[in-house]
Parts: sequence; structure tokens; C-alpha cells
Amino acid sequence: MTSVTAEQGGQPPTAAQRAVISVRGVEKYFPIKEGTLQRVVGNVRAVDGVSFEVRPGETMGLVGESGCGKTTLGRCISGLAPPTGGKIYFRLPDEDAATLDLIDPIPESDRTVQQRKQVERIDANHRVDVMSGKAWRTYRRNCQIVFQDSFSSLNPRQLVKDLVGRPLQVHKEASGQELTERVVSLLESVGLGRQHLYRYPHQFSGGQRQRISIARALALDPEFIVLDEPTSALDVSVQAQILNLLHELQKDRGLTYLFISHDLGVVRLMSDRIAVMYLGKVAEYGTAQELFEDPRHPYTEALLAANPDIRAEVSVMKGLKGAVPNPANPPEGCRFHTRCPVATPACGWEVDDAVAWLQARELLAAGLADVQRRSKFDATLVFHDEESASAVVRAIHDGDMPPAMKAALETVSTDGSSLVIRFFPVEPVELEDVDDGHLTACLLHTERRHQTWPPQTSADSSSRTAANPSSTSTRNSSTR
Amino acid sequence: MTRSHVDIDTTRDRATQPLVASVRDLKVYFQAKAGVVHAVDGVSFDIRDGETLGLVGETGCGKSVTARSFIRLVPSPPGIYAGGEIDFWSTEARKGGRGPIDLLQIPHEEMLEIRGDRIAMIFQDPGKALNPALSIRSQVAEVFYQHRSEDILEPLGGEDAPRLIRRAARQQSNSVERFLLKLPPWRAKTEKLKERVNVLVADALKETQIPNPRAIMDNYPHELSGGMKQRVLIAQALACNPDLLIADEPTTALDVTIQARILELIAELQQRLETSVLYISHDLSLVKEICDRVAVMYAGRIVETGTTEEVFSDPKHPYTRGLMAAVPSALHKRGELAAIEGTVPELVDPPAACRFNTRCPFAVEVCRTTDPGLVMVGAEHTVACFAYDTSDGSVVLPTLTRWVS
Repeated sequence: MTSVTAEQGGQPPTAAQRAVISVRGVEKYFPIKEGTLQRVVGNVRAVDGVSFEVRPGETMGLVGESGCGKTTLGRCISGLAPPTGGKIYFRLPDEDAATLDLIDPIPESDRTVQQRKQVERIDANHRVDVMSGKAWRTYRRNCQIVFQDSFSSLNPRQLVKDLVGRPLQVHKEASGQELTERVVSLLESVGLGRQHLYRYPHQFSGGQRQRISIARALALDPEFIVLDEPTSALDVSVQAQILNLLHELQKDRGLTYLFISHDLGVVRLMSDRIAVMYLGKVAEYGTAQELFEDPRHPYTEALLAANPDIRAEVSVMKGLKGAVPNPANPPEGCRFHTRCPVATPACGWEVDDAVAWLQARELLAAGLADVQRRSKFDATLVFHDEESASAVVRAIHDGDMPPAMKAALETVSTDGSSLVIRFFPVEPVELEDVDDGHLTACLLHTERRHQTWPPQTSADSSSRTAANPSSTSTRNSSTR
Repeated sequence: MTRSHVDIDTTRDRATQPLVASVRDLKVYFQAKAGVVHAVDGVSFDIRDGETLGLVGETGCGKSVTARSFIRLVPSPPGIYAGGEIDFWSTEARKGGRGPIDLLQIPHEEMLEIRGDRIAMIFQDPGKALNPALSIRSQVAEVFYQHRSEDILEPLGGEDAPRLIRRAARQQSNSVERFLLKLPPWRAKTEKLKERVNVLVADALKETQIPNPRAIMDNYPHELSGGMKQRVLIAQALACNPDLLIADEPTTALDVTIQARILELIAELQQRLETSVLYISHDLSLVKEICDRVAVMYAGRIVETGTTEEVFSDPKHPYTRGLMAAVPSALHKRGELAAIEGTVPELVDPPAACRFNTRCPFAVEVCRTTDPGLVMVGAEHTVACFAYDTSDGSVVLPTLTRWVS
């Protein structure tokens, strides 16, 4: 191990190096503050436990709808925003990765002194948010980012020469005439030229501005570039130009890309492997081909179905019902179950789903006065009168409630004008390997689909709900 | 070789269906410091009754300006309506056997009657199209106050209602009247009026499949998701059952899964209400899904029109072909996307030439000196390119023969 101690993050990639970027259980929570004292009352879980690796020379695609956390994750990886949990490593050698695999599951307090030292050493050399100064400088050179909106990412008061030459100046790579020549050669590599040196960003079209952003990212000859929706503000004919350029640069310079986009067609074209994100979590992960030809998650299927295809003979665009849930209060179980067309009773139905179902029905919702939650799965609905409560019970039994949600109900009991509903508690759905590196977080594609329903009610689960009556009543749902 | 832009006029006779609107040689210019920008420069097309016409093109090609000209929303100055006409047949006009009205010529008061009533528009960004300071209820209600005061007055005795109430139903009350309406003799009637408006608004929202509309009526736009806001806008636009709905990229700001739902909704409402739709988009694959006919615009001109089937299975214009080839798909190898080189030309005082000649890989001398008009190349397929003969649509330019076949 002593030989590795001397190693710095600055070493060029070697054969022993598996990943350029290793993302391990990264979380990014944004606090919600309230009141004069700005107390933290909750967290928006933008990224909630994501792990993957980006290997040298490949393009990793990150796809998902707006608000799924893909941009936040890109910002964490590029060091622009420190993650609130989990770790991001740069150029993590295989042996160190193996060491971490061993040590990470051990709780902090149970680790031996030697183990702690090992983690400290690896963190100082490779972990993005706590790197030592020298490793950090190397990382900054080698990780660049191209933003979506080239208008707001280029300073309108600077000339192209200064914009593209800035990284070279900062890292004391070049100055004077040499700097100008370096900038010219960078501009030429992205299809611009010497005549563009002394112009301002507003004098360029959108496509040209994105080329300037790319030239700036290339200035320090980086190893890894985060491309955050680089073409979504561009027209399709210009988009094609930029995508071709990016591919050419990758081929010539051996670049590694993290390609973030909401456009499935673009991601499919550009990526070797793809992670589909939904509400801060990875729903499915696999090679581009696997994902598009054999999707193993209903969300991926839904994205594919909703995407119009210009070359398909007949295609039926199908949308998803509902909206993306609030990331400050994400659904239990599988986060997609609220919109999933094939959801099962085991997918994580909870009180919020029942309340949402109720509120979508004008007549039923009118009678609802209060929701007293004891846990995510257990609550008392208080109605204005007995009649409304029994109307809801009738609606539940008459099949107005989605069958999967109904089957997930453990108890429904009325007591005067209040209605106690309790769902079977379920565990969160984690990513599982279903086909040699093809990961999915869907019960229907993993072993858990064979589980019996309803689950065996253990004493443990009932005591947990009973032991937790302190949760206060929330949300006044009166709709007057 | 001289060609005129009126060749397409023949389609008017050939159309078997009645028209809702007919744009003839529309020119909209903008006065800029550098000169006059020809944003829309001689555009002609028809919208048939009950159809969805797609107007496709890239940023700055003039598609939105064309659409906004229908209800005269182009700010003037700097905008100049430099020529042409937009003929519009409302249902009443067609039933009464009357001729069309020219939307560019009618007086302002008449336009106010038509805007939002006979011709409605859905805008691109629902977040910006809704007023953040007003509740959903008051924004949707405005349509009824503006155009449907007789509906509001119905339970109050229609036109026999007291003048005070009639004025209230048109939101014309002055401050004294508003005070009077709060006093006991009038209060009950005011309440009744408000309840009637609430019913109308709730019905309009229900049309767009908003669950429990009464619950969201008191919300403000920021409290709703993007898809929900777009539904509110659609409810607002279709509240008066318009003859023509102009949808200006209604789903660009939305996610694909929501987009599909909104398009389903528009299609369903269109069928039920028998509205014609002018659908503006930059997304070719979307237009292919939802439109009956397509007009492709480039730099202020229409370069190709035809049924969706014709245009997408057999595109004729080099620009249309380039655009379709540039859409990434499973068939493409990485780095081999067919990009259209170059950028859109400046539209300041453009010369008489094919607007696409600077980017066209097949341009020859005539393309740089003469303006191509639209020529027929199929039953309903027209294209503005010198590669095709005016008389029968056969390929005439030798440089292009190989490419076309």
C-alpha cells in the first residue's frame, strides 16, 4: 500500500484504473427554511443516493424529465456544488475502490485506526469535495463543464479571446502572443477561426456560442467533460452540427463525457451507457442498446412511448398521468408508483396517494376536514359528517379506487365521521442487477415479483406503527 | 426563368373542403437599426375547416410572427404589416353565406370581438402566459366576461336584467356601481352572478380533464405544475369554442410524458368542438404525429407544403430533407448525423434569391439570382425549388437529378 500513498490524483490514467469518475451513493439535499429564524423544516431531495462509474473514453448518458436531479448531479460531479451525502471520486484506482468497498459498509465508529487512515488517504487524493490542494488543481484542469444556455454562461462583456483564454491564464499555461495562438487553435478545433477573436458573445448565433463554450472547456486539454444539455437550446440542424463536433473531439482527444439531456434520441445517439433518473434516483441503468431495445422499467418504457419518432411507420404517443411528485416528500417504495401504469400493491402505496385520490374527486373531497398522519402508511381521515366518511368507504369498495392501491390497504375502518386507513408498509425499491450489468429499480423485473401479497403481518410492523402516534396532524384539506 | 408566388393560389379552387382561413402573400417586416427585417416575406397558405395544419421551421423563420398576425399581436412599431391579406371565415359568416373578412383590415373593435372568441391562441410558455398575480378563476373568468356576458346573465333574466347587473356581467362597472352592488338590494344578485361565473369556469376547466376544478380555481399559477398550467390555458382558449385555434409550440416547455397527454387532449377537444388548428412547432416528429397537412418555413418563406404523408414520406425541398435527416435516431451512427452546414441568413433587405442558397449543397447560379415560387409536385404537394419544373413537377436541374432520385 505504501507505493500507492505517494500517488496523486494527477497521474495519467493507467490500465489499473477502471473509472474516471466514481459516484458512490451521492445525495444532494437542499434545505427548506422557514420563519424568521430560518429553521430548516425539510429537505428537497434533488439527488437521493445515486451510484455509477464513468469509464475512460466512454460517454455516460444521464436522462430524465425536468426536476429529476440530473443537472444537480452534474454540478456535484463537476465540483460546483458539494454533495450533502455520499462520495464522488476522480481517477479512483481499482485497488483503492476495492479497499473502499470493504470499508464503506463499516460504520464510522467501528473502523480501526488503519482503516480510517486508508480512507483519509484515498479521500485526499481522489474524493472531489475534500481533495488536497494539488489533487484539486489537477481535477479542475481535467474536469470541465459545458452548460445548456450559452447566453448566460458566457460573460457578455468579454471578448472571445478572453473567454476562451481565461482557463489558460488562470492555470498559467500561456500569456501574450502564445495565448492568442493557443486560443486561435482552440477556435479552429471547434470550427471557428481567427476572425472571431475580437467579438462579443452577442455577435454569434446560438450554435456558434455553444462552440465557444466547448472551446473554453477544451482549453486545458481535460480528460472529462460534463455536457449539461449542450444542444437543447439549439435548432435541430445546428444540434446535429454540435453533436458531430462533440463526437469528433471525443475521438481525437480521447475525452470522456457525461452527457446530460432530456432528449432520448440525442442520448441514445451519443451514449455508451445510460442512467435513467426519476425523482433523484436512478430508475434504470444499462448500455444504450439494452435500455432502448429491452427496457426493464415502466418509466423508461413510458419515456420511450411518449417520444415521437420521425422515422416510425406508425407510432402512438402515450403520456403519463399526473405530475412528478414533490421531491421534498418523495413517494414511498418505488418513487414512480404514483404514475406507473403497471403498479402492483407492493409498490409503496401510502396515505398521500389515498389523499390525492380523494382530492381528485370533487364530491368526496368536499367532505374531508383533516388528515391525521401517524406514519406514511397510517392515518385517520376526519370528515365533516358521517355521510361523507361512508361515501368514501363505498367509493373504495366499489372499485373507484385503483385496484393496486385498494389491494395495498391493510385496514379501512370508520368510527363516526373519521376513517382510519392503513397500508401495508413496504421497503424502498433498490437497483438490482437483472441482466449482466443491466440494473433496474422495478419490482416487476426483479425476484421480488414472486413475493406473496398481502405480506405476512409481522408483529414488528404493527408495533412500529403503534409506537409512533406522536406524528401531528398536518395539512388542512378543506376545499371550501 | 421568372416565377410568381401566386402559383399556389390554384389550391384554393382545388380544395374540396371549405376554408377557415386563407393567408395570401403575407408580409410582416420589422424596422431595425440595420434596416428593414423581412421576418415574413410573402407567405401563402390555407387552413381548411376542421384540419390541423402544422407550420414547421427553425428559430427565427417567422412562424410565430405569421401566427400572431392572425390576431394582430405583432407589436407595431417596430412591426409593419407590409402587405398581403389573411381572410377568415367564421362559422356565422359561412352559415350566413357571407364572404371572408380580412383580419389585417378590420377595425380594432372588431378584432377585439374575434380575438379570444373566434380565434384563440395557446402560447409556448404557460408560466409566462398566465398572470402570476391573478387566481386561475379570475383569469379564466375574464374570457366569459369579455365574450360571453349573455351566458353569465342567463339565470338573471338575460338582457332583461337590470342595467347595473348587465354592466357587471361585462366587467364595466365603475367604482360607484361596484359599491352599490355590495349593498343589500343588489348583493344577492351579485352572488348569483359570481356563482354563475364559477360554474362556467369550472365547466371550462373540466373540459381539459383537470380533476376537481373547483379546488384549483383559487390557486395561483405558481402553485400549479407546467402541465396543469397548460391545461388552464387550453381551457381559456377553448372556452368560447373558437373556429380557429392557434397553438404556438404549446408543449415545448413541457416534459415528453406530459407533452403526449396535452397533445392527446388538444386532439380530443379539436374533434369534439370541430375546431381548426394551426399548430406551430420546430419539432418535425411532433408535427408528423398530429397534423393533417404541413407547411415548412425557412427564413420568412414557405418552402414546402403538402399533406403530412406526402411531405414526410417524400420530402422535396433540400431544406426539408436536411431537417429530417438531422433528427437523431437509432439508424444513425455516432458522428454521422447529417447536419445542415452554415446558419440562417440575415433577413435585413434580403436579395431576390432562394433563401436557402447559402446552405444548400446543390445550389446553382439561378438559385442565387432568382426567387423560386412554389410549384406543384403532387396532388397537394408544392415546393419552392428550382429543381422542379413549374408545369408538371418533374426534376429539371441536372445538378439535382442525381440527388432527387
